[in-house]
Amino acid sequence: MALFAPPPMYADPTMAADKQHAFNPYSENGGSILAIAGADFTVIAGDTRQSEGYSIQTRYARKVWQLTDRCVIATNGFAADGNNFVKRIKQRLEWYEHAHQKQMSIKAIARLTQTMLYGNRFFPYFAYVILGGIDEDGTGAVYSFDPIGSYEREACRAAGAAQSLIQPFLDNQIYFRNQTPAPGAEPFVPGRLPLSTVLGLVIDSFTSATEREIAVGDGLELYVVMKKGRTTDDLVGSDNLIKNMQVQELGALGEGGSERTFLVSLPLKRD
Amino acid sequence: MFLTRSEYDRGVNTFSPEGRLFQVEYAMEAIKLGSTTVGITTPYGTVLAVEKRVPSPLIESSSIEKIMEIDAHIGCAMSGLTADARTMVEHARVTSQMHNFTYDEKIGVESCTQAVCDLALRFGESVEDDDALMSRPFGVALLIAGIDEKGPQLYHADPSGTFTRYDAKAIGSGSDAAQQSLQDSFHKQMSLIEAHTLALKVLKQVMEEKVDENNVQLAQVTPEKGFTILGEDELKRVIEGLAA
Amino acid sequence: MASKGPVEGPSIGFDFSNYARNQYLGQTMGGLPKATSTGTTIVGMKFGGGDSGEEEGIVLGADTRATAGSIVADKNCEKIHYLTPNMRCCGAGTAADTEFVTNLISSNLELHALSQGKPARVVTAMTMLKQYLFRYQGHVGAYLVLGGVDSTGAHLFAVQAHGSTDKLPYMTLGSGSLAAMAMFESSFKQNMKREEAIALVARAIRAGVFNDLGSGSNVDVAVITKAGTEMLRNYEMPNERGVKSRNYKFRRGTTAWTKEDVRNLLVSEEVAVTAGAGKLQDTTEASQGMEVDA
Repeated sequence: MALFAPPPMYADPTMAADKQHAFNPYSENGGSILAIAGADFTVIAGDTRQSEGYSIQTRYARKVWQLTDRCVIATNGFAADGNNFVKRIKQRLEWYEHAHQKQMSIKAIARLTQTMLYGNRFFPYFAYVILGGIDEDGTGAVYSFDPIGSYEREACRAAGAAQSLIQPFLDNQIYFRNQTPAPGAEPFVPGRLPLSTVLGLVIDSFTSATEREIAVGDGLELYVVMKKGRTTDDLVGSDNLIKNMQVQELGALGEGGSERTFLVSLPLKRD
Repeated sequence: MFLTRSEYDRGVNTFSPEGRLFQVEYAMEAIKLGSTTVGITTPYGTVLAVEKRVPSPLIESSSIEKIMEIDAHIGCAMSGLTADARTMVEHARVTSQMHNFTYDEKIGVESCTQAVCDLALRFGESVEDDDALMSRPFGVALLIAGIDEKGPQLYHADPSGTFTRYDAKAIGSGSDAAQQSLQDSFHKQMSLIEAHTLALKVLKQVMEEKVDENNVQLAQVTPEKGFTILGEDELKRVIEGLAA
Repeated sequence: MASKGPVEGPSIGFDFSNYARNQYLGQTMGGLPKATSTGTTIVGMKFGGGDSGEEEGIVLGADTRATAGSIVADKNCEKIHYLTPNMRCCGAGTAADTEFVTNLISSNLELHALSQGKPARVVTAMTMLKQYLFRYQGHVGAYLVLGGVDSTGAHLFAVQAHGSTDKLPYMTLGSGSLAAMAMFESSFKQNMKREEAIALVARAIRAGVFNDLGSGSNVDVAVITKAGTEMLRNYEMPNERGVKSRNYKFRRGTTAWTKEDVRNLLVSEEVAVTAGAGKLQDTTEASQGMEVDA
């Protein structure tokens, strides 16, 4: 018999399995997204900075993507999940087109987004999703989602690092919260602002967020989806545009829903 | 004919040297034994009519169900081994509910028909992993009527998994004569009432018994009310109109 | 028995009496309040001397962003702190600690100079800083770049929060230190000229400003020579805010109100004239006494 037997490993308090190294599959890549619905257009925007901690991974990473002629998606949170989610949505959109010989409506995409997000209920896509576009009646539409699929149609929504900075501003400027109309004046109605006003609000939201939120900056990509037949004069070739702003029309994806999508880009501060 | 068939009608998935799948062809024959079923499309909706065979006066005729609802905007009528249709209708119902759940919209009539037909060829000798493979082809054909953004539509789905869109179609035992008579009388601007009358007129031609509210069934899919099976009173009115 | 309460401590230094309570609060309320930290780029380098033909000196540089979490708390704060006329100290880490510790040492250096009858040396400042910081075992979160010129020449030190120090010809500290160091490692030379040194320091700070999210806004520079210190506050301003595309002036009356209550802030009071209190009082003026309504 041995005079001395070493105690079992688990008996040693310093060796106890109290230190666990859990693998964390998620990260947070900063940035912000925003969408505002108008009467016959929708604006969906996101900055192009992608960061982790105090480092910039890239000054140009897309957060906003055109899905169909009448729908644009924006994701925020964990970039890998966001990108992958968009990829999967696009695949489902293509399958749907083959199966049903039509482009999916924004309402259908919204519901599909919910089922896809909720399908990962216990290992969620860490992505905040906003859909923007034109609905079946030709009205501007914004749908916003949480990472596991709760969704709602709204007139406007901000998400991401600067959500807490931008959303109160939007509540005031879009929903007219805490604003009393002048005596005898028409009451405020959300969702009726002209495109030029909305563009100004979106740009100011992002330039201001860039000032105070370190994870926002570098560049702004802003998609404008317009109802079919609507004038584009207030976007294309108007001279009251911000300097350095570029406008480009994106070609139709399907066989002519004749809604039109424009991509507006402009630089943001890089510090 | 029976001699030339040889062994190639044994395996359900075995082609004959001439390139035929006998079991599928026999399944098509089964439909020709079924009661006559008619569908007619009009700009105002699609009409389905079936002959109910009531071989005994002791049968409760309302228990014979040959027209079934798939979704609020799609219905179908059948001919052949009607028990097989239950599987197909069940699949169609699940598919349209799934579509509504996933996309928050009504499924298209063609997509629904396609889903039914996808099922039609899932028979054969089951391999170990293959779950729930069917042992033989369906012995039933469906007339699927519905309305979507493309308007009222009528599809014919058969045991081979093929589907075809029709303005008007007859299947079942009296289908040859019925189809001819549809071809003679159908026109594109038919009203719903005209379609009801034509459907029953065609059935009347091929039926042995006198048409009454117990041995025929009428259904329609309209933009306003979706899928509805006509009640006894309405049915009687159409039958009365026939006599006149 | 009347005894001294346990919370009564010495009258100087830190008060730890709330430590246990705060730990408990931190556990139950999900975290202690977060101090403003200067996610920062600070740098310093020596220049001149040798055969440069210039007297030796120190250039210090800092960005001007102060953050609280990911929010910019101050867009143009000062991170180059005054110690003595010929010494400056750049601070990174917890903003309050860098401010307090430099202020305190600045006072002590002044006292030291007074008692010794000559300006304090840079090593003295460095020693005072490290001894103070060591005492608090890193809990005083000040990370410093100390530079100055004294009777023994130009000196540059880094002082870590735990009390360790380094003496180097160039150094960078803070979250942007790697970006800034990249500039020094590629471009630093011994005995650079003053203007070259300023340009390199500014470039190092810019590297931090643009590549480190914790740093931003402007570039502050301080140049210290035997002649004294030149503070080049906002030496570069590469991040000025553009004009907003809309203006957000609200119509007067935009804010709703539930009730109106107008009160007069003027209070008049009667003053009675009493006899025998010296001079005769003028009652008409006394009644105009003004007091703010409580």
